Amino acid sequence: MKKLISLIKACMTSDMNLFKIKTKNKKFSILLPIILAIYLMFTIGASSYQMFEKLAPLHLEYIILSLFIFGTFFITLTEGVYKASSLIFNCKDDNLLLSLPIKRRTVLFVRIFKFYIFELLFNSIFMLPAMVVYVIFIKSISVTYIILSIIMLLTLPIIPIIISCFIGAITSSLSSKFKYKNLVEIITAIVLLLFIFALSFKMSDFIKHLAKNATSLNDLITKIYYPAGVYVKLIAEFNIIDLLIYILVNIILCIISIYVLSKFYFKINSRLKSVGTTNKVNVSNLTIRSKSKTKSLVKKELNTFFKTPVFIVNSGFGLIMFMIFVFALVFKFDSLIPFVTNKETGLGISKDLIMNNLSILILALILITGYMTSITNSVISLEGRSINILKSLPVKVETILMSKIYACLIITTPILLIGNIILFIKFKISIIESILLLLLLVLVPLVSHFIGILVNLRYPKLDADNATEIVKQSTSSLVSVMLGIIFAIINIGIIYAAINHISSILLLIIEVIVYIIIDIILYLCLINKGTKRFNKLSV
Amino acid sequence: MIEIKNVTKKYGDKLAVDNVSFNVEDGEIFAFIGHNGAGKTTLIKSMVGIHDFDSGDILIDGMSIKDNPVECKKLMAFVPDSPETYEHMRAIDYINFICDMYDIDTETRERNIKKYSKLFDMEDKLTDTIESYSHGMKQKIVLISALCHNPRILIMDEPFVGLDPKAVFDIKEVLNEMIKEKKIVFYSTHILDVAEKLCSKVAIIKNGKLVKSGDMKKIKGDKSLEKVFMELEK
Repeated sequence: MKKLISLIKACMTSDMNLFKIKTKNKKFSILLPIILAIYLMFTIGASSYQMFEKLAPLHLEYIILSLFIFGTFFITLTEGVYKASSLIFNCKDDNLLLSLPIKRRTVLFVRIFKFYIFELLFNSIFMLPAMVVYVIFIKSISVTYIILSIIMLLTLPIIPIIISCFIGAITSSLSSKFKYKNLVEIITAIVLLLFIFALSFKMSDFIKHLAKNATSLNDLITKIYYPAGVYVKLIAEFNIIDLLIYILVNIILCIISIYVLSKFYFKINSRLKSVGTTNKVNVSNLTIRSKSKTKSLVKKELNTFFKTPVFIVNSGFGLIMFMIFVFALVFKFDSLIPFVTNKETGLGISKDLIMNNLSILILALILITGYMTSITNSVISLEGRSINILKSLPVKVETILMSKIYACLIITTPILLIGNIILFIKFKISIIESILLLLLLVLVPLVSHFIGILVNLRYPKLDADNATEIVKQSTSSLVSVMLGIIFAIINIGIIYAAINHISSILLLIIEVIVYIIIDIILYLCLINKGTKRFNKLSV
Repeated sequence: MIEIKNVTKKYGDKLAVDNVSFNVEDGEIFAFIGHNGAGKTTLIKSMVGIHDFDSGDILIDGMSIKDNPVECKKLMAFVPDSPETYEHMRAIDYINFICDMYDIDTETRERNIKKYSKLFDMEDKLTDTIESYSHGMKQKIVLISALCHNPRILIMDEPFVGLDPKAVFDIKEVLNEMIKEKKIVFYSTHILDVAEKLCSKVAIIKNGKLVKSGDMKKIKGDKSLEKVFMELEK
């Protein structure tokens, strides 16, 4: 047990460094993610409040809790399926841990425990507001409710994590058998995500009928998902036996899963570590070409991107979703309209407003995709110890940082361009509006890329055990995604408020001008503050 | 010429390098020795522009690394203590990348890549990704990429760690060649007998402070470098 605690402590230390506040600067650095997390919790709380308001008169408040439990399960599973394989297998500290006189099962347990802690924090952002709002509506709080909620919060990530770990083991096992392991891993992760996403679309059919069929939906969820059923049942009528069975089920599930996974763990890990060599080619037969510094740096960045599966899946998913929306707009436009126009289940925007401002609809799509595809929030952290290579080279820091931005633009622009051209043709967008939108499809992601790299320079994580910790679990990715959401919401809100008063062309012109100004400000910020921060980075 | 002038570097409250000054002249192989944690790597990283330092200055051919980092770095090549590379890259792409950063023309790089990859027995392994290499092979790639751009100043932190005996022999030959061309080689090491035979100058650092610096022969006198070092460590 002592060994296990020491191991957990050692493995968690680097991740928890942020919370060891030592300097004034650190205090400021920790404030931003906390504020953003509180903001997100407040937003979730506000949304759940609206849902509670509709169901409270019918005394069906508990349904919201089961919905939130199921929703959290779904989000954790979506996150987990492509995080699990890289968090558990082929880690940087494998050589150290696997050579220690401890059971492999223990190493596996520690890895899963680390995964659990992050998902617990993540789940709390969603579940805590709903639990608090429930108390507000019920107008009473019992000790039983508090204990039940704490137990629920602690046990909620277990099932999705176990499912994710098994899926991760299967995908890792599959990819380890192929020469192009990364490619197999990327394809499997994208297919899995699309499958879960398609499933969630089906789920939205149920949610649409929430108000009408609330009780039947609740019955369905509580039957499908055991924790939701137990929680709702125990809140209504507390029973210690049911609670103990629930806790026992979770513990047994954990033990069995770790036992089963550990049987394959070492084999898969060893196979993943074997890197194939190519056919021997003598240096005399190689074509050697020189490139400019910027071109070479951009090539290096693209190489990092395409060789890091979790990085591709994370940033590529937004772009895939963009193309899915583009094709949905092209082929299913009429059936999509009610989602936006319906006052009860949609956004309540009038059909005429949409039809008269189709270019603004495209702009909204650019804004959402641009801000959701924050690739640069990991580019500094992914350098790891190799940051010293860059720092020792005779290259201006400005060139290094801008090459990272260019590489991200190379990734996002072609897809946005193709999608936009398809939409221009479908909606017969005028030439002026098309030109303005083409400008915006570069200017908007550019803002997102500048924000991402600036945030990553403030919250670098150069000592991560694997890329997933950087891409999915770092403060940098959390802060930049949150800032992206805030920027997108503000911008779409302004558009919505202005669209009735000015023409779409004028609105697009204003957007272009504003984005040019923001890009210039952020560029100057990167050149001044970003360069200083880069120079201070050390491993 | 490298001039280290009263350089001080702190990590929080801890003094890593304490007011260190010495010069390295052209045509010298300079050994920088000290116990683990003495401040060798910190000073080396400051010399190559990886670390900032709190006070003092480091001049490379009269230019301050603080004021003209890019111009200074153009003259230098750095070989770190652990072979830090881009693991996903093929070795040939990594070497080309480093050459691109130093604006090396195609003809020169082609010649040097062939020369050094043959010297280190890597000529038919350059198309493999670096992650497939052993520690020693990675170190060889770092050395090839450092030598490919004909640096005037070669700065190395523990360069012999992980290299096979033939590679150690070969690198010593390369260093001697560089000295004949009046270039500078500055390196930190714990292998004192190699330093004793190879280097004309030596500096010994202890707890961040320079305790001895000067001609190898004068410093060691009739004793071995190891004995001098052990006496200073007491």
